[in-house]
Amino acid sequence: GVSGTSIEKNITLDSAARIELSCRLDHKYSHWKNLQVTWKRGNETIRHISKTENSWSIQLRILDNSSLGSYSCTLKGEEEISAMFHLQVPKIEGKEKPIVSYEGDTAVMICKSFGYTPIAWTWYMTNGSEQIAINDSLLADKYSINRVSANVTHLKILKLTKEDDGVYWCEAAFELGKSRGKLKLKVLSFMVPLKPFLAIVAEAVILVILVFLYEIYSKRKEKCA
Amino acid sequence: SFPGQRKEDKLEAPAARGWAWGVVFHFFLVNVLVMGMLKTFGIFFVAFQEEVGGSSEQVSWIGSIMSSLRFLGAPLVAVVCEKLGERPTSIIGAGLVGGGCLLSTQATSVPFLCVSMGLLLGLGFACLYQAAAVMTAKRCRTRLAFSNAIARSGMGLTFLMAPFTQLLIDFYGWQGTLLIFGGIMLNLVPSSMLLRPSSPRPPQHSSVENQDHGSSMAKEDSEPLDKCLDGTTHREIQPHGVQDLPIMERVMIPHSRDVSGPVNTLDLEGSEKSLMGSCSAETTTEVKRSYKSLPATEKENPQPLLDFSPLKDPVFGIFTWSFLFSHLAYFVPMFHLVARARTLGISSMDASYLIAVAGITETVSQLLSGWVADQNWTKKYHYHVTYLVLGGVTNLLCPLATTFPLLMTYAVAFAVFCGGFMALVLPVLVDLVGVQKLHSYLGFAAFFAGIAAVGGPPLAGWLYDYTQTYACSFLFAGACALISPLSFCFEPSAQKWKLKKANL
Repeated sequence: GVSGTSIEKNITLDSAARIELSCRLDHKYSHWKNLQVTWKRGNETIRHISKTENSWSIQLRILDNSSLGSYSCTLKGEEEISAMFHLQVPKIEGKEKPIVSYEGDTAVMICKSFGYTPIAWTWYMTNGSEQIAINDSLLADKYSINRVSANVTHLKILKLTKEDDGVYWCEAAFELGKSRGKLKLKVLSFMVPLKPFLAIVAEAVILVILVFLYEIYSKRKEKCA
Repeated sequence: SFPGQRKEDKLEAPAARGWAWGVVFHFFLVNVLVMGMLKTFGIFFVAFQEEVGGSSEQVSWIGSIMSSLRFLGAPLVAVVCEKLGERPTSIIGAGLVGGGCLLSTQATSVPFLCVSMGLLLGLGFACLYQAAAVMTAKRCRTRLAFSNAIARSGMGLTFLMAPFTQLLIDFYGWQGTLLIFGGIMLNLVPSSMLLRPSSPRPPQHSSVENQDHGSSMAKEDSEPLDKCLDGTTHREIQPHGVQDLPIMERVMIPHSRDVSGPVNTLDLEGSEKSLMGSCSAETTTEVKRSYKSLPATEKENPQPLLDFSPLKDPVFGIFTWSFLFSHLAYFVPMFHLVARARTLGISSMDASYLIAVAGITETVSQLLSGWVADQNWTKKYHYHVTYLVLGGVTNLLCPLATTFPLLMTYAVAFAVFCGGFMALVLPVLVDLVGVQKLHSYLGFAAFFAGIAAVGGPPLAGWLYDYTQTYACSFLFAGACALISPLSFCFEPSAQKWKLKKANL
């Protein structure tokens, strides 16, 4: 790597695995003497570093959520170079733009996991500052959670009301932890688009009347002339 | 009657010109809204797929039904236009489109949308387009190419519709957006009312025998006719009794059949038959004939519901051949330009810049080509052929364009030639066929163009799949563009053949 900057790498894990992280020094720095390599997780130093000619690596057994996190390797020679490894569960993408729906209508919210299959999906609704899990068997005529395929989940909300407006979370449970995606639902009443529509229709009707009147006027003008 | 005619001509000119601009404006609006709707369908596509469900293929059926019906529905619309007149047809079209949009807001499944959006909107577009195009041809006799070009430049404005639609969808969801679009489309109703039926130019030689019949009829019918006529001409002519005018005006607005008396209906059919003839100069003699043989006329010539005569006309064959291939040559590069740019390593930002420049160039070139064609330095189809040949050559050279500047040059050149020949399609048809039979000709020509439009995109896709390079699509388009003007070589001989047949 280049001195003075730090390198980061994201590693996604969805199930227990053995992982080897290695830091390799570019051969243009191999003339450095007194190289000291430290592997850290947070403030905690890790031992059991195995060394080959120009690389230092550690082996990790990731068994549960507590093993995930950020690992860093720091090389101290003439200058200090470091690299960071972020071990994390797969990210779930929600939707940036809010989903717009209307009162009394049905809304479908979709969450996808890319590449990794979660063990289970849970949906949460935000009520004020709390997040309440949605139980579709309890409120079967309101919510319906469907696992369309291994990586995709659908939450169908029927008979929308204003209270359904807000932020929803879809949570995917992996062996090593949970990951959330955010979705926003906007519930509008019919009046909202109806007002511009009626305005436009009124304008069209006025134009029709104007054209009609102009025709009658021009005919009357010629009748008199 | 001459002084009266001259006076009426002078008075008619400004009023007629004013209404002609109204017709051009309506056609312009139709182009903007219809093309805009068709082009922004892609944005709705995403919303439909997510919220209504259905596979990509099913949802794209909606779009293809919508755009193909616009062409394929044309013969049917031509019949309706001839029966009802352009103005009612256009209003029906606007109603269909508005109604279709409103109905689609209630859609819950893809088949529903196929009918409500695809079928209704497609038919509505066909109605609007056909009525507007023919009305433009009827109204703008002298400057048809330029007016057509101005109206078509509306297509250039459609690029504004896309971000607008996206904004509406983000704000109101697809249902709210469709509701608002329905309202916007209803604006086409007042603009359709601008399509006032015009009075055809009164023949120079008035038939004196019909004077008595004519003036009495005219006086009876003046009241119900008031709402339909271009008043100036009617009033001026009344005292001088150029009587063919009221009769022909009655013809143009068949809905005034509420006119009293069985005699009048006989006149109507007689003179309708006369108007179906090739040019207005002949109508006088035919009107004379119809008055003399009134009962006979009625039985001899029943109105054909669907006029298949264009299909037997070689001129139609010439025109349709050229129309079909030139449309193929136009659509395929449009589809594949961006993809080709990407495969050559040009970023999508630059590629969309290509499209924008091409769009603007095409609009400007349409206007220029229309203006040049109207100067009447030579027959319009000569220009048409020139543009097509040059466009074909440009397409054949396109595979040589491998860098961004070269591709930009190609895009500009292609847009210039495309704009040129697109602007002249309607004027060339009018030149070949005349205005009277324009409806049925345009209807059938559009039908065949629709087949090309339906087959074009899949064909282009298949070409790519088969050759694994987009260069082939351009070669194909170039070949099409070069094949299409070939039929015009037969035009002089076809006209001679027609004249011979007519004289027989």
